[in-house]
Amino acid sequence: MLQRVTEPSFPGAAAPERRRTLDVRGVHLNLLEWGDPAAPPVLLTHGMWDHAHSYAVLAPLLARHFRIVAMDARGHGDSTWAGAYTWFVDVLDIVAVLRSFGRPVYLLGHSKGGGQVTDAARAVPELVRKLVNIDGFGPPSLPAETRPMPERFAEFLDHHRKLRDDWRPYPSLDDLVERRRSQNPRLSREWLRYFAFHGARVDHDGWRWKSDPQMAIGFGPWQPDWIGPSYTRLGVPMLAIIGSEPDTWGPLPEPILAERLGGVRDLERRTIAGAGHFVHIERPAETATVILDYLRS
Amino acid sequence: MRITHGRITLELHELTRREGPALLLLHAMYGSSDDWGEALAVWPGPVYALDFAGHGQSDWVPGGAYYPENLAGDIDAALQHIGGAAIAGAGLGAYLGLLVAGARRDLVPAVLLLPGAGLDGGGASPDFDTPFPDLDHPAPGAPEHRADPLVGLLDAYVRPVEYVEPFAHAARHVLLAEDGAARPPWWEAVRRSPTATVISANLSVALPRLAEQTSAT
Repeated sequence: MLQRVTEPSFPGAAAPERRRTLDVRGVHLNLLEWGDPAAPPVLLTHGMWDHAHSYAVLAPLLARHFRIVAMDARGHGDSTWAGAYTWFVDVLDIVAVLRSFGRPVYLLGHSKGGGQVTDAARAVPELVRKLVNIDGFGPPSLPAETRPMPERFAEFLDHHRKLRDDWRPYPSLDDLVERRRSQNPRLSREWLRYFAFHGARVDHDGWRWKSDPQMAIGFGPWQPDWIGPSYTRLGVPMLAIIGSEPDTWGPLPEPILAERLGGVRDLERRTIAGAGHFVHIERPAETATVILDYLRS
Repeated sequence: MRITHGRITLELHELTRREGPALLLLHAMYGSSDDWGEALAVWPGPVYALDFAGHGQSDWVPGGAYYPENLAGDIDAALQHIGGAAIAGAGLGAYLGLLVAGARRDLVPAVLLLPGAGLDGGGASPDFDTPFPDLDHPAPGAPEHRADPLVGLLDAYVRPVEYVEPFAHAARHVLLAEDGAARPPWWEAVRRSPTATVISANLSVALPRLAEQTSAT
């Protein structure tokens, strides 16, 4: 018998004031909103395996001055699953959401979402007023791979032959919390319980993440060394935020980060003391102050 | 017959049924299995033709996330059903056929690369000045085909020489059909592979050569 769970609370987290969906090429993107609808809009995008509720603490802080719209990327949260996934189309989804505002928008992303909003700003600079990238500057250069590319591609094909249509169920919400905590030990159980409640659904046989398991891997010739050169074409001001603490998925070693950001024409950098990769979750007040100062300057 | 790749259902056409080595035909971008006429008569075994996702009678990918390696998974799904086959691919099908011939060398005795739409892709290296594709106004395919206009995204993906070369080296035999027209850098790199042989682009000549290579393997 599954235990019913009421929505957990978390200090500072506020439920969105409005929800809507946007149909983009047959995929329904879920959008959560906080703040005055007439205020200047800021679009927020999350990282891999996260969802729009991961901004539940930061968004209300920014919403004192802006209309905050956080989107679930395709295959994540309450957006629909797609037939396939690729970075490029995720970026074009963000462009589609930007166009839906009918006016220039401030753009913010974390981790994978940070990289994707940077590409979106490069694609449509006329739609983006300023850009905030929270620790979304890509992985380090790939280690020298000794196995031949065809062998690695065969593994990708093997994986595709075994694609599963859904996750296996976890017995309880707390099992999801522990699973995610094994990947991100800096995040508190209290936060992860809030995060998992909104990022999972309960079925007759247990709890499953809402994210699509078929997003797990991709394959292609892309190289992290392409990131820096792409930044040289960025026509939008960027605020680059990282945390001071080493963490599972970042930040990059400073020499690599400095080299990648070296080509950004209009750049400000801030480091949030005491935070790891999830800067906006670990230090929301300090992060909000830095972002508001930048957007309002 | 219908086969599946992930959540996508594909049409794998069984064009002829004979005893002998199997042939899998892969059409060009915006094309379909209808594009192969001459192959039927000259091939000594069963002939199959796959409609890639977004093409012919196969499903369109919900959300339009077409990318080359994912479509190569369509070929792998077809090979899984057939049990192994020589491959003849045109344009996009040539590029994807080469990737699969390199990764599944136990299932693909030889691959024939033919010109056609989608041969070049997005060039040999990323060009960050190239505008992003406008998916709200995608270029339509030829009207006689039923391709999803979003398959045009496949032309945005780069094909670096250093990425493609190992696939040519890993494949058992690669036949490059040439007619004097310019070829993209990845094709030029394949030509230098010890596994490659340059032949005529005339299909009535090229397919018997593919059959020879297949039976010799």
